[in-house]
Amino acid sequence: MYSRINNKDKKAPLITLVGPPNSGKTTLYNYLSGKKSKTVNYPGSTVNYSVSKILSKHEINADILDSPGIISLIPTSPDERVSVDTLYKHPKYGHPDIVIVTVDASQLSRHLYLVKQMMESNFNLIVVVTMIDILKRNGKDIDIIKLSAILGCCVVKFDGRNADGIKHLLEKTRDKIVAIQKEEIILPVAKFQIDRDKLLLSYKQIEEIEEEVIIDNNNRRNGQLDISSINDNLVVLNNRRAFVKPDARTLKLDKVFLHKYWGLAIFFIAMSVVFTAIFWIAQPFMDWINTGFENLSSFTGELLGENLFSDLVSGGLIPGLGSVLVFLPQILILFFILELLEDSGYLARGAMLVDKPLSKIGLNGRSFVPMLSGFACAIPATMAARTIANKKERFLTIFILPLMSCSARIPVYALLVAFLTPKDKPYLGGIFFTLIYLFSIVSSLIIAAIANKFRDRIVKEKEDSSFIIELPAYRKPKVWINTKHAYKNAIQYVKKAGPVILILSLVLWVLTTFPNFDPSIPDADKLSAEEVSSAKNSERLAGSYAAMMGRFIEPVMKPMGMDWRIGVSLVATFAAREVFVSSLALIFKVTDDDEDTHNSLLTAMKEAKFEDTGQKLFTASTIIGLVVFFVFAMQCLSTTAIARKETGGWKIPILQIVVFTALAYAFTVVVVNGLKAVGVS
Amino acid sequence: MKRADDLKIGERAVIKDVDNSHPSSHRILEIGFTPGQEIELLNCSAFNDPLAFAIRGTIIAIRKKEAHCIHV
Ligand SMILES: Nc1nc2c(ncn2[C@@H]2O[C@H](COP(=O)(O)OP(=O)(O)O)[C@@H](O)[C@H]2O)c(=O)[nH]1
Ligand SMILES: [Mg+2]
Repeated sequence: MYSRINNKDKKAPLITLVGPPNSGKTTLYNYLSGKKSKTVNYPGSTVNYSVSKILSKHEINADILDSPGIISLIPTSPDERVSVDTLYKHPKYGHPDIVIVTVDASQLSRHLYLVKQMMESNFNLIVVVTMIDILKRNGKDIDIIKLSAILGCCVVKFDGRNADGIKHLLEKTRDKIVAIQKEEIILPVAKFQIDRDKLLLSYKQIEEIEEEVIIDNNNRRNGQLDISSINDNLVVLNNRRAFVKPDARTLKLDKVFLHKYWGLAIFFIAMSVVFTAIFWIAQPFMDWINTGFENLSSFTGELLGENLFSDLVSGGLIPGLGSVLVFLPQILILFFILELLEDSGYLARGAMLVDKPLSKIGLNGRSFVPMLSGFACAIPATMAARTIANKKERFLTIFILPLMSCSARIPVYALLVAFLTPKDKPYLGGIFFTLIYLFSIVSSLIIAAIANKFRDRIVKEKEDSSFIIELPAYRKPKVWINTKHAYKNAIQYVKKAGPVILILSLVLWVLTTFPNFDPSIPDADKLSAEEVSSAKNSERLAGSYAAMMGRFIEPVMKPMGMDWRIGVSLVATFAAREVFVSSLALIFKVTDDDEDTHNSLLTAMKEAKFEDTGQKLFTASTIIGLVVFFVFAMQCLSTTAIARKETGGWKIPILQIVVFTALAYAFTVVVVNGLKAVGVS
Repeated sequence: MKRADDLKIGERAVIKDVDNSHPSSHRILEIGFTPGQEIELLNCSAFNDPLAFAIRGTIIAIRKKEAHCIHV
């Protein structure tokens, strides 16, 4: 009888991929899945499931689902819970029809532990043995047929480097799909439980299986028995298991990378290189994008003439699009570096190195990857915090992530730094940037330490903090694949953030253009066309909705040494930071001369004056004040949304908005007035 | 009684027992630190914590506190 549970409308079968971390799930998934993967896992680690149709050339009509690594069916952290939950029942795709478990042949005893639990829970399994090449490099081999016979389930080999064995796996999958159409489905045991005795027994049995299926060629060298390894094997008789050395190259490299003192030095150097690379490599590309969009904007402006539509396109749409794309280079580079670090096996070691200091301020070594990703974007970073098991540590990590200097701030800092940098000393720009980064890192750590004092009030659960992490074998990163992933991630990111920012830019354009979009200029006939146009622009802005709002908040801006125009731009940034530059440009009505707009926005800023006193609006102190404001302020609706989702409540996102905005305001007021007091203009 | 965090770098030992009372003890067992298994302390970080152990063909880093509940 054909009875599918919860899937009356005969959906395509679902194949779920699970397995311990680094066992090769994602590699296999990438071979099987089509290009359109539904969820993108940002670099660092797999923390969410991804679903895709199996590539049509494989001739299987089924969905395939990749999931975060688990070592047992009892999850300890939210990312593991995602996997275990999807195994039993995925909210959209239902219950998996077939489960493929990946198992690293070089770590058979550890990885069979999960397989055993899954077999006991009645999952419809295909076991895929990966990394056999590594096993062979150590002079061993594995007897797959024997393993299959002992386990009593389907076992296939798969080589993640060249997809060897995929044909066989697909054949087995097809057979299974045919079989499940006929048989009645046995649902897996809903809840898996294991006590200590059962766990130890399980490991005993696995060790026996391992003895049976692993063929050690080291015992026989040139046909002679090797006495030393015999001795190693004899210890088994004394109820002691032979010691299996980890990958030799990894051990050697760890002597350097995890060296007691050098390890930390290398870590800091590596991190500095990463950030410098991001800045120096991304900057020219960002400049190109900026200039390109500004030229496009002025070109279309001229092409379409003086009318509302022209203004909408050249003043709203194009700059909006530009402000989305301008930080693409930086995101791309950071994602690429993260991918590279993860793939090489270094990220887990970085986490280990910083665990101690981070745990002093209530974070965890596992906060390292989210924090690093936070320099690209807080959204994937917040999701990456799922790997932290302890709720307090996870929430604190998520709390401080908006303080990491995300790429949306780069165009803002670029403008502000350009303002501060004297023309004859361009190298100062880089130094200013580095200082801003250092300042933001140090202040986020201080804020974490302070927030840590209040953690018991925010999260009531008392859980023990732990740090248990596998340090995977070093691997030569696959640069091309990493580039492709980084590209895919960055594009996905732009697709997600893009529309929001674009809409915001349009809203801003509407607010700065209406209701007074065609003001009448007295004595217009006495003025040149250019003068009329610029007078109209300023009249239009002065009578706009934005100006009304701006004047309303002006009392708040005054203590920061700023006026309503900057105020409007700042209000706009609370939806997304990156609109700051385009909104300033919109408000200070950059008229396009021969110079490119970046310069003329700077010029316009340098010439802007307070409307009442006639004093200069932008001075060194207000610019530094603005930098401080952007370091702290929580200005990103998407981050608020994801923080709510990941923490399951409004507490953390609201705290972020209130605390960081209050801090931003207070620090800006203090800095601006302090600077003025000591004589900085 | 000697525990895993008493080991010197490069020293090997066989696990005798894992403290049942420790909150992470179940995870520690699950990840492969079972009685009878031989482990080696490979590295420790600059702050002497966490410690990296070779076990069952791989390397696993755990905090000192967690290593302390492993009797060797
Ligand atoms: N040598 C070797 N490396 C593999 C094999 N399969 C996967 N890998 C590599 O192992 C690493 C971890 O794989 P990944 O698929 O990300 O593991 P996941 O954590 O289970 O998703 C990647 O660097 C892969 O390229 C294999 O059969 N042999
Ligand atoms: Mg993965």
